[in-house]
Amino acid sequence: MKVLNKNKLPAVFDKLAQQSELFVPLQKKEQSGFYSWKSFDQASDQLALDLLNVYLPPKQVLLPQTEKMYSFRQEEGGVAISEVYEESQARVIFGIRACDLQAINCLDQAFLTRGFVDEFYKARRDNTTIVASACYKPGANCFCSSMGVNPLEPAGADAIIRDTGTEYFIWEARTPAGEELSRQLAEFLEEKELPLPQSQAFERQVDMEGVAEKLSQVFSSPLWEELSDACQTCGICTYLCPSCYCFDIQVKNQGEAGYRFRCWDSCMYGEYTLMAGGHNPRASATERFRNRFLHKLEFFNERYGMPLCTGCGRCIIACPAGIDISKIITAAKEAEWSA
Amino acid sequence: MDITGKIREIAARLLQNGEVDLFMAWEKGDLPFQSKPFFARRVEDVERIIFDEYSIHNLSNALLKFRDRQEKIGLVVKGCDSRGVVRLLEDGQIERDRLYIVGVCCPGMKDPLQAMRDYSGFNRNPEAAPLAAKCENCIQPNPVIYDELLGEEQPPRVQGERFARVRELEQLSPDERYRFFEDILSRCIRCYACRQACVACNCRTCIFDETKPQWVGRETSISDNMMYHLVRASHMAGRCIECGECERVCPVNIPLMLINQKLIKDVDNFFGPYEAGMQYVEGAKPPLSVYQENDPDDFI
Repeated sequence: MKVLNKNKLPAVFDKLAQQSELFVPLQKKEQSGFYSWKSFDQASDQLALDLLNVYLPPKQVLLPQTEKMYSFRQEEGGVAISEVYEESQARVIFGIRACDLQAINCLDQAFLTRGFVDEFYKARRDNTTIVASACYKPGANCFCSSMGVNPLEPAGADAIIRDTGTEYFIWEARTPAGEELSRQLAEFLEEKELPLPQSQAFERQVDMEGVAEKLSQVFSSPLWEELSDACQTCGICTYLCPSCYCFDIQVKNQGEAGYRFRCWDSCMYGEYTLMAGGHNPRASATERFRNRFLHKLEFFNERYGMPLCTGCGRCIIACPAGIDISKIITAAKEAEWSA
Repeated sequence: MDITGKIREIAARLLQNGEVDLFMAWEKGDLPFQSKPFFARRVEDVERIIFDEYSIHNLSNALLKFRDRQEKIGLVVKGCDSRGVVRLLEDGQIERDRLYIVGVCCPGMKDPLQAMRDYSGFNRNPEAAPLAAKCENCIQPNPVIYDELLGEEQPPRVQGERFARVRELEQLSPDERYRFFEDILSRCIRCYACRQACVACNCRTCIFDETKPQWVGRETSISDNMMYHLVRASHMAGRCIECGECERVCPVNIPLMLINQKLIKDVDNFFGPYEAGMQYVEGAKPPLSVYQENDPDDFI
């Protein structure tokens, strides 16, 4: 088998970053997320491949929180588009976990299928190569295995690294793009036989069987209000979520020129459903809370055949009110939903 | 009987007699450090209520969900939370006679979010401290408004100079200060958790949600982020009751209380002596909520 010495990672990253924009999990002072290797600052940053995961999800690489779409300028007789910002340079995401990769598979469904292709997303996605890190030690809030994810075989990866607990990662190419990476990195890869790591059991499990169907029947249940009591309707859950993809399109003008951009939006915000005439169909926390869970566990499932939650656990960790999506899934099956 | 038992007894009595329609307290999650807000609506819910060292959330904020409704509400408040109730009463957000306030003299709390992050596998270094940062700076552990008071009176916990961190920042040159704010505010992901956790953020339509005109851009850029935080901070001047929830809930650890403390100190200096939400006097107006001809303006 091919193995990669961990001590060589900085050199591997330098090499990959020569030909592409490379994103790796980093701890940057108080924050952790997937950042460009170019931004790595030896003095304050640390590689986070050894941690279970990073707080800010890698969706940022394919769907930036703020993204310029085009610039325009007013000219005689109309408006002229002066520049379109489509990013199609090669990218590599290195060290993504199976849950976060499954979330990208969800984004692919939303942005590339059913006759709707998002050109900005597609330009990035088509030129992105993914090296996933197999997950052998699930964390206390992980439940990806209950959400159709195999943490040891990240679906959609071009190559997979497996942390053997020694100084080596096992390296496996899975696609032609992965083979190409193996060739690029040939000078760093060694042949060596190492035992596979032992995988550990999940502490947290849920049963998704029948959840979407059940939720489709309980829209008007008064239980939603009680479930949402503690929710403060901030955007933490949606912005730390690797699969939440809602965005807004806005414009900034200065004089006769300006640009249009899109930015993440959150169904937890009142403004999200505010209509031009002033009516808001989801005025209360209960309605927004219900929408978030129905989108994750019911609507997306109905349309694409997979849930929009991949069990990464970030919202469970960071919710100030202690709201836990795995409890909502359990409640869908077990709770008394009628009044 | 411990505090939890006493709270349950009070809640059961109030719900039973119909004196309140719901009672806000906490319940336990699966893990020892998980305490979360819980609203009991029926007598049988009362046995889920707990009060422990992780009951850190400021429940006064949750009253805003009910401001346009009729329910009578019982709630448990610590010192800081009770100042939040005063904030809402002064701001005309809820009527005193809709509330039954159970005050608990607070021995200081631990932060369940810190404990959860330590437990998550995402942290390289443990964060959890014996006492939450917001409690280390507490000047008012005992409730200032209540119908019933539980627990032994507690001394203020702030040690040394209360505004030491603010003074350090004041010593920096304007350029150094700018770089400091640029550094902390560039991390903001605009999740608005600080605003949502804040009891003083009780505007019906928040300036940041307005679209006609849009006062603050929605980009996560340093200029829009600074605009957001500076406008929010100035809206807090004379109104922040120092519960520290904004800083506690921030998912990217922005030291928001440093900004609020600077304003607390300045309002006290220029318009005080004043400490927000320390007592409820009907009709009282905090500084800056009314114009006084003799308000100082020489610092502008």
